[in-house]
Amino acid sequence: MASLPIAQLCIAAVIGAASGAIGSFILLRKMALVGDAVSHVALPGIAVALAYRVDPFWGVITVLLAAAAIIWWLEARSRLPVDALVGLLFTASLAIGILTIPDTEILESLFGAFPALSPLAFGATVGAASLSLLLTFWLARPFLFAIVSEDLARIGKVGRGYELLLLVIFSVVVALGIKLVGTLLMGALTIIPAAIARNLSAGMRQYMITAAVLGATISIAGVAAASIWSIRPGPVVILLGVGVFALSLPAVGLKRPAG
Amino acid sequence: MAAQEVFASQLDRDFLPGERSAMPSKVLEVENLGVILEGEQVLSDISFSIEAASITAIVGPNGSGKTTLLRALLGLLPCQGRISWTPGISMGYVPQRFAVPPSLPLTVTEFFLLKSGRLWRPDLAFIKHLPHELELMGLPLSVLDRPLGSLSSGQLQRLMVSWAMVTHPAVLIFDEPTAAVDVGFSDTIYQIMHRLIHERGTTILLVSHDLNVVWTHASQVLCINRSLVCQGPPQEVLTPEALRQLFGEVGWYHHPHGHHHLGEGSPGEER
Repeated sequence: MASLPIAQLCIAAVIGAASGAIGSFILLRKMALVGDAVSHVALPGIAVALAYRVDPFWGVITVLLAAAAIIWWLEARSRLPVDALVGLLFTASLAIGILTIPDTEILESLFGAFPALSPLAFGATVGAASLSLLLTFWLARPFLFAIVSEDLARIGKVGRGYELLLLVIFSVVVALGIKLVGTLLMGALTIIPAAIARNLSAGMRQYMITAAVLGATISIAGVAAASIWSIRPGPVVILLGVGVFALSLPAVGLKRPAG
Repeated sequence: MAAQEVFASQLDRDFLPGERSAMPSKVLEVENLGVILEGEQVLSDISFSIEAASITAIVGPNGSGKTTLLRALLGLLPCQGRISWTPGISMGYVPQRFAVPPSLPLTVTEFFLLKSGRLWRPDLAFIKHLPHELELMGLPLSVLDRPLGSLSSGQLQRLMVSWAMVTHPAVLIFDEPTAAVDVGFSDTIYQIMHRLIHERGTTILLVSHDLNVVWTHASQVLCINRSLVCQGPPQEVLTPEALRQLFGEVGWYHHPHGHHHLGEGSPGEER
C-alpha cells in the first residue's frame, strides 16, 4: 500500500469544504442544474489556456467569472427562462471544449487528475479555497436573506450585489475543484454535500456546517481511496457522495414534521 | 391586559401625534406617482401624504394596484413621479403572500436573526427579546426551533407581523395583515397597531378588504383603482356612492352603526 499523498488530501479537504459551503446556497437557489452547466463552461477555458501554454486554472477562472456575470444579468430579467437558456449556452461550450482540447488532455479535463503542484501553486490553491470557505460563512446572512425573500432582503438593505458575489465565489470554487474532480463532476461536488445536509438539518447553521464537513470528508475519503487503488479520484469522490446521500434518505421522514 | 385598554381607546381616532411634537410631521409625501409593469400603466397620477403616528388604509377592488402601490413605496419597483420618505426612516413590511418551501433548512429563530444582522454569533439581547414578540402575536415559544416551512399559514402570517415589528421600525406596511388568520387575531393585530402608535409613534400603512376595519381604525383612507379615486378620513370618504363607484354595483356595503357588512367577496388574488 502506497503512503497517502498528504498535499493532495489537504487540497481535497479545503476544496471539498468550500464546495459544500457554497453549494448549500446554490442548492437553495434551485440552481443545481445551472451550477452543473457552469462547470462545463470551463472546458473552452482549458482549451484556450492549453493553446497559450498557461496554467488551465487561469483560462477556467476567466470564463467562469464571465459566466457568473451572464447568469447574474439574466436573473435580473426574470421573464427569461434562465435555466433553459443557461443550459443551452453552457452545454454548447462543453461541445466546443471537447472539439478544441487535444485528445491527450481531454480525459484529465473532464474527470480531473492531480497534477504535481509547486509549493507556490499548492499554497495559492489552499489559500483561495480557504478564503472562499470563510467568505461564504461570513456572508451567509445576506446570501440567505435574498433566498428567503428578495423583497424583504431589499428592504433589509441586502442588494443584488450579494448575488453576484455568491456566483463569483461559486466560480472560484468550481475553478479550483476542477483539478480535483474534473469539469463533468464538479457541479456534483458542490450539490451532493448540500443535498445530504438538507436531509439532516432543521436549521441553516446546522445545514451549512454539515455541508462543509461532508464536502471535506467525502473528498478526503475519495482521494485516499483513489490513491490506494490507483484510480481516478473524481468519480470515486462523487460515488461516495451519492452513497452517503442514499444513506441520509431515511432521515428525511423523521426530521420534518408535517406542515 | 394593556392591549385591551388600547382596544377601548380605539374610538379615539382623532388622536394626534401633537403630544410628541407641536406640528404633525409628514413621514411620506408622494407626488404624481405612476407605475408601468410590462408595458402596462398599472398606476398613474397618485399624490398623497402620510402623517407620523397615523393609520392609512388603502382600499380598492381586486387588481386595482394596491399591492403595486405598496411595493412602489417600498422602493421595490421602478416608478415615475416622486416618493419622499423622511430620510433614513426604518420600515417593516408584511407581504400579502409569503411562502417558504417546506424543505428550507431555516428555523424561526434564524429567520429572525436575518434581521438582527448577526447569524453566527447572535446578539443575546435580541434572542431574549423574541419570546415576548411571539407571545404578543399568540404564537407558542416552541415555534422558535421549528423550520419556518413547517408552520401553518395562519402561524406564518402571525410570525410575519412579529418579524416586521421586531426591530421597532418607524413605519409598518401591511398588505392584508389578516387575510389568513381568524377573527380573534385580527382584533389582536389592530389593538397592537394602536398601541404602537401611542407608545412608539409608529406610522402604519395597510391594505385591507375589510371596510369595517378601515372605518374603525384608519385615520386616512386612500381609494385606489389604478389611480387615486378618493382620499380623506373614512367617515367622509367611504360614502355609499363612493363605494359603488369604487367597487361597482355589487360587492361591498358598509353599515356604520351596526358594524357588519353584506355581500363580502373573498379577498382573492392581488397582482
